[in-house]
Amino acid sequence: MAVKEEGDTSQQGKKSRSRLILRLGALLVAHSGLVSVVCCAAGIIAFILLPVLANNTYISENALMPGSADPAFSSQEVLDANRLTMDILNRGAAKASGIEIAKLLREYIVAVGAESYYHKFVPRANKFHPLHFFSSTTDNLDLPANPSCGSFILNAVGIIRAPRGDGKETIVLVTPYNSQNTTYSDAVSLGIGFSIISLLSHVTWLAKDIVWLAADSRYGEYMTVDSWLKDYHGPAFPGETSRIVDDACFEENNSDSLDHIKVEGHNSYVYKRAGTMAAALVLKVVDKKEKEERDSLSIYAEASNGQMPNLDLINIAHYLAVHRQGLRVKIGSIIYFLKASWVKLLGEMLQHITTLAKLLNPKWKLDITSADYVEGTATLASSIYYQALGVPTGSHGAFRNYQVDAVTLEFSPRSSLNNENVRSAFLLKTGRLIEGVIRSVNNLLEKFHQSFFLYFLTAPHKYVSVGIYMIPFGILIAPLPIVAAALFSSNNGSSNKDGSWKWLQAAKVVFLIHLWAMITSLLPYVLLQLPLVTPSSFTSAWAAVAICFLLITYLILWSSSIDCGWELLKSVMIVAAAIGLSLMSVINFSTAQIGAMLIVPMCLLVKPARKQTQGVFAKALMLTSNLALLVVAFPPAALLIAKTLFGASGNIDIGDFWEWAQILWSWNSATYMYLLWIHLPCWVLCLNIFLYPCIGSSSKA
Amino acid sequence: MATRDPSMICCFRLLFLLLFSVPLIASSSSWASMHHNNWAVLVCTSRYWFNYRHMANTLSLYRTVKRLGIPDERIILMLADDMACNMRNNYPAQVFNNENHQLNLYGDNVEVDYRGYEVTVENFMRVLTGRHDPAVPRSKRLLSDEGSHILLYMTGHGGDEFLKFQDSEELQSHDLADAVKQMKEKNRFKELLIMVDTCQAATLFNQLQSPGVLAIGSSMKGENSYSHHLDSDIGVSVVDRFTYYTLAFFEKLNMYSNASLSSLFNSYNPRTLMSTAYYRMDLYQRPLPEVPVTSFFGSVMKTIHTDAAYMGLSIPPKTEAQFLPGDGGNHQLRIENEPDLEKDGNKQTKELHCIYHEWLNLLQERFENTDAELLFRYGFGTMVFLLTISTWLLA
Repeated sequence: MAVKEEGDTSQQGKKSRSRLILRLGALLVAHSGLVSVVCCAAGIIAFILLPVLANNTYISENALMPGSADPAFSSQEVLDANRLTMDILNRGAAKASGIEIAKLLREYIVAVGAESYYHKFVPRANKFHPLHFFSSTTDNLDLPANPSCGSFILNAVGIIRAPRGDGKETIVLVTPYNSQNTTYSDAVSLGIGFSIISLLSHVTWLAKDIVWLAADSRYGEYMTVDSWLKDYHGPAFPGETSRIVDDACFEENNSDSLDHIKVEGHNSYVYKRAGTMAAALVLKVVDKKEKEERDSLSIYAEASNGQMPNLDLINIAHYLAVHRQGLRVKIGSIIYFLKASWVKLLGEMLQHITTLAKLLNPKWKLDITSADYVEGTATLASSIYYQALGVPTGSHGAFRNYQVDAVTLEFSPRSSLNNENVRSAFLLKTGRLIEGVIRSVNNLLEKFHQSFFLYFLTAPHKYVSVGIYMIPFGILIAPLPIVAAALFSSNNGSSNKDGSWKWLQAAKVVFLIHLWAMITSLLPYVLLQLPLVTPSSFTSAWAAVAICFLLITYLILWSSSIDCGWELLKSVMIVAAAIGLSLMSVINFSTAQIGAMLIVPMCLLVKPARKQTQGVFAKALMLTSNLALLVVAFPPAALLIAKTLFGASGNIDIGDFWEWAQILWSWNSATYMYLLWIHLPCWVLCLNIFLYPCIGSSSKA
Repeated sequence: MATRDPSMICCFRLLFLLLFSVPLIASSSSWASMHHNNWAVLVCTSRYWFNYRHMANTLSLYRTVKRLGIPDERIILMLADDMACNMRNNYPAQVFNNENHQLNLYGDNVEVDYRGYEVTVENFMRVLTGRHDPAVPRSKRLLSDEGSHILLYMTGHGGDEFLKFQDSEELQSHDLADAVKQMKEKNRFKELLIMVDTCQAATLFNQLQSPGVLAIGSSMKGENSYSHHLDSDIGVSVVDRFTYYTLAFFEKLNMYSNASLSSLFNSYNPRTLMSTAYYRMDLYQRPLPEVPVTSFFGSVMKTIHTDAAYMGLSIPPKTEAQFLPGDGGNHQLRIENEPDLEKDGNKQTKELHCIYHEWLNLLQERFENTDAELLFRYGFGTMVFLLTISTWLLA
């Protein structure tokens, strides 16, 4: 008996213990309204607080040791750079053919004693490949059979082999220039690139090979760099027919360069490789007309789908620029936030709050000045925006596709480069900075791995890591499953007999709408085959077909007389949205964050317009908020609002939407998928619920 | 030299004991308990280019102990050895510990016993405890005995009660203590000086229990040990602070110097070190001001005179270096010769010898305060006197 009793009590204990979490869950579900309000508010406030929570960056990898060696870049190298710059400008002016500069560069590289070759390719237009998201490897099969010979692009490449290295690793330096319209700053950037090569060709400390790619960016620098990288990583066999055709075509067309090729032999076209790439630097010079206090450096790092290079690479560039060369480092910021008065007000409020918080506990490192907050917000916004867009901010993005850490370093002098003194001081600083970065990366023993890959920058020396920025997002989407459960259980409780499988009906509706969205996302592939010309016609055709399909979907739904209450529909829709957002947060966090800020309030608030509520005021409030959210969360509307907010004053054409979508898919941005597979169906379902023809709690009817 | 050194008295008493009563068979124990050889185990526990300074530390110390008289055969050098021929090295096949590049530590005669990936915790423990695979050559073994003074120097990256070995494993403080205990049990040392230059080096000594162990670390718990300076030409830090100031101390000394361990320990200035050097002395019996640094960092200056070949080992040493802990700058090593003891002497000869010894001792005590030259003069005088008497007697 006693034993039995004991067993009983222990069982009861187990039950009550296992029930605790259930009870907590039930409590949350029961108060889902309060929970969702609190969570949404907390999530958005925490998101706004991100600039306050940013930490200072630090160099995490011990091996890098930036700035520990004195730069050897001297006035001799400045002279080299000047020589090449002048030569390019003189010859480029004389002959505007695309290959003149490449030939000149190769002469210079060979004279320094480095290996050199020409890289040739035929540019291709980016096409819509519905199944090519995440894999940017477009095969070479779609090369035109008979390419017109004038469209070849010729890049000069120089390789310095590390004298005592094993040739297994490489640092890549890229200087894009436009061969058709070579500007002065292009020539200067080539000059810097060459002076670095001429310096590194006789140093003894190289452990990694150095590859210098002078990329002809006549048809876009990204494409040039990307095709060079493709050739670098893809096996190319010497017997490949297309290459021979290329060669023949090239030589015929440029008869004046024939003698040159004869002298150099065919060797000059043999693609040479060095080891795997440790890091890549894209070097650019922007000549500004207005005067500034100091020379400045802008760092661009965002690659496709919000991928970032390792934070250490940005750190060393920033450290060397600020603490060694005295440059001003800038990263992109959205000007709207810099000027917006509400941000300033928020900053002042936060300043007061943080000083108060510091009085409470001096250990909290939360103090931020209003100006810092405004700057941090603007920079963070730009960081999130460019990551969310999923489009690389420069040719460094091409490297990220091969898991190579790369940044674009854009230098701008303090005044015009035509001034001799300004130019030589500028060349000295940039040269030393790049030498320092290369030497630091040269010290690296492994791939960059110590520091963060997932982060936002709020200033050149401040970052918000994944561990911090996931929290607001988590809080923001936490009410979704709770509200879904609340809706489901309330609906199930009310109709016990047949309601248990009723949600399948709702799931069918949600599934069909998602199917429709998927078809809509693939429509451009079909539309591109049609003889349409203007972007606006594309947009209207796309919209028309999509709406047709939507009507057909609803016809099917109507004919099969699927009717589930709006509550169940909302519950399933919320579950789908929560799953979609969680998945997207793994693929591209920024997109998910921005999307969640629009979708989550809409999903939580949406109610049928005809649903009766007690007060007139409450009903009006509900209606207006629903309507406002539905308008804002509609992707084209959101785009329009963003455009007017952020100062693009040009008149708005419906063709813009097509172009915008085109940008997204041509860069293989996952944002396109998110918008059409998650955001759009969610919006349609919300609209569906809003227009639901019900009176009171209709589900019983 | 106003006060007599107690250890000296002890020594003499021992000698008397030996001479008067102890049979020769028993002499082995006293022979062993005497300090008669020096060993050094120098370990650099890190690798990779950015740890250049650790290898430079170890090589500098290697050079110092060699200069002070420990031969290569008695130095076990464990090094990752990936600096000199590193492709990042501006000066191929050279290693420097100073930015002035005056001294190439990787010059001639650097004998690395354990190299590269051989520097493991296992090999380190095997070297200390002497449990080797039979195939390991003698040159890679620590062949010390109960009369050995061992210097164990380690540098690398450490933490609270551990020392990292090449980023892959770690030596914990109780591992070290265990190894030292085994060494003590196996009579592998008489005295052991452990010198560690890592962060939180002091914590590595927490578990030590064996007597005769003296430990010194570069930093206390919670402190970091810092590098001394950066060579902007090579682009790395080339030496650690603790080692740098240790070397600075030894640069002033030569093989015959009498600087004491306490003067070495007092030379560390926490301000220049940027950490607090820590000594653990509770296991060590001798007073530090009377122990010369050369008893660990140098070699015993001792010549064993033997009458016949192959007898040396069975005979206790007759000469002894007398250490004069001189504050007055009297840095000298006095070597006292004592006559040989005949092995198969009968009682008479023994007694005679004993008298002779007593007489000599008396003489020695008498002339304790005078220098060797005076002793020599007296001795010479006596000999002349004896010669005249003997010739007069013969005549």
